[in-house]
Amino acid sequence: MRKLLITGISGGQGRLLAKRLLGHWNIIGVDRIPWEGPPEGITVRTLDLRKRGFENIFRTERPDAVVHLAFIRHFRIDPRVRHEVNVEGTQRLLDNCARYGVKQVVVLSSSYVYGAEPDNPRYMREDHALNVSRTFPDLRDLAEVEGLVNTFLWRYPEISTSVLRPVNILGYYVHSAIGTYLKLDVVPTVAGFNPMMQFIHEEDVSEAIALALEHRLRGVYNVEGPGAVPLKTAIAAIGRRRISIPEPLAHIVISQLFRFKIYQFPPEAMTFIKYPCTVSGDAFRGATGFEPLFSLEDTFASVAR
Amino acid sequence: MSVYSILSTGTEAALTAIPGGRALKRELEERVSRIPLSLNSFGYDPWGFNPDVFKAFLMPAAILYRYWFRCRVQGIENIPKGRVLLIGNHAGQVPFDGLMLTVAMVLEADPPRLTRSMGEYWLGTLPWFNVLMDRIGSSIGTPQTCADMLHKGECVLAFPEGVRGMNKLYADAYQLQEFGLGFMRLALETDTPIVPFGIVGSEEQAPGIANLRGLGQMLGMPAFPLTLTWPWFGALGMVPLPARYYIRFGEPMHFEGAANDEDEVVEEKVAVVKDRIQTMLREGLAERKSIFL
Repeated sequence: MRKLLITGISGGQGRLLAKRLLGHWNIIGVDRIPWEGPPEGITVRTLDLRKRGFENIFRTERPDAVVHLAFIRHFRIDPRVRHEVNVEGTQRLLDNCARYGVKQVVVLSSSYVYGAEPDNPRYMREDHALNVSRTFPDLRDLAEVEGLVNTFLWRYPEISTSVLRPVNILGYYVHSAIGTYLKLDVVPTVAGFNPMMQFIHEEDVSEAIALALEHRLRGVYNVEGPGAVPLKTAIAAIGRRRISIPEPLAHIVISQLFRFKIYQFPPEAMTFIKYPCTVSGDAFRGATGFEPLFSLEDTFASVAR
Repeated sequence: MSVYSILSTGTEAALTAIPGGRALKRELEERVSRIPLSLNSFGYDPWGFNPDVFKAFLMPAAILYRYWFRCRVQGIENIPKGRVLLIGNHAGQVPFDGLMLTVAMVLEADPPRLTRSMGEYWLGTLPWFNVLMDRIGSSIGTPQTCADMLHKGECVLAFPEGVRGMNKLYADAYQLQEFGLGFMRLALETDTPIVPFGIVGSEEQAPGIANLRGLGQMLGMPAFPLTLTWPWFGALGMVPLPARYYIRFGEPMHFEGAANDEDEVVEEKVAVVKDRIQTMLREGLAERKSIFL
């Protein structure tokens, strides 16, 4: 059996993916936080991607493939640390992949890299500009990570490298920014804005990664879920109450809540609940035959109370 | 309060106030039900269209269509099945022309069609309006969105003059302003027939006497028109004058060539469409006996 290294294995997505691939791959995982009692056949090492111990794993284990999930996606820590972990961590990982003969790399990015803009095409293709830092500078690490992976992709044609950009991920195990937002007791929305949003179930994201590995995918791909609904429809389907706040007030309220750490939703993220950031998953569908198993209803049910 | 609830409240009020209101509502519902749609289980199409909001929106629009502008339509049978680009003149400060065309496509076209209007980029930043646009099947007019819609067989409406046409002064009435080239490139790229149309009556609904562009820019709008009634009569001044609308569709035009050709080459093709529309406007004006009756 070939060997697969999963970074960020202790997170919700990491655990789901490891269980999905168990039996198909010999799985080694690394994470900064431990995974107590992983299933048999999964080895987990607790370490930091930026530390030397990480290279030792490549040296001793010689993985055939790597799935990179070790990103800090929340805003509970210093943005500088977040940037360092995400960007430098990725650089270290890619260096090691090149040095130790890894044959396949899959990096889990996000459709957020395009940024939410009023004049976005309704279904952006992979060649659309990565504009996220224009309105949301703290997310520029996402775009920078993609820049690193793209360079790697061209420099090492012999390695099958792919970047997946899934839409909003929802599910019981995954802690996504959108999931946290939608699980609030009262979900704030901006009055007069109700963008179409796409969602995908966490299990389908694991499936997409598995397909990328299976097809030795090379290139950048959007991963679309079962469809799009307006934000407020999603909130209703999940069964949350909603409060509409006028725009100028919304900015002040959300800034203050964020500043005092009451609510982990940075004010810049407001663009994502105002403007569309919807993508076309046609290329990925064409390359792998991917079809989401979970409907919109199933996906919303996974975070319903 | 949602866009939908505001619209439905307005509709209910209008239904009781206008004789024949109920019959018009039934007619609209029957017609909308015949428009082929691809809705998901929540009742939305991929671009955010929702038939319930659309019906609620159509009702006041249809009242304007029947009783205010008393639209007369010619040549709507020229509209082919499947993907099509509707290209015509833009006027009247507020885009009632697009609205009336949308209603005509529901009430008069056989089978009824959903018109996808391509809006200016800044409209996407307007609270409520941006949501309404999505729900009634329109979108911000990015080439990508437009091409996607055409590939799916939709009927797309574009005014290549944009605000240059809509916010021009009455002195320039029915004189087509500079046309953008985007629509022609899209037609070539997606092999879509162009149906030209000319609307007579829209220029008289709100004759522009000046345009304070500077003030408009300060307010984040591309223009700030002064008309005979606006802003002198306040909000009331935004009510259009009841000029009769004549909407005339021409025969479909097919163009061949490379979508990414030089501007000059595309301009020649655009000029053919523009000439056709200008001719239709001249004919329409010559046939018109009264502006208001």
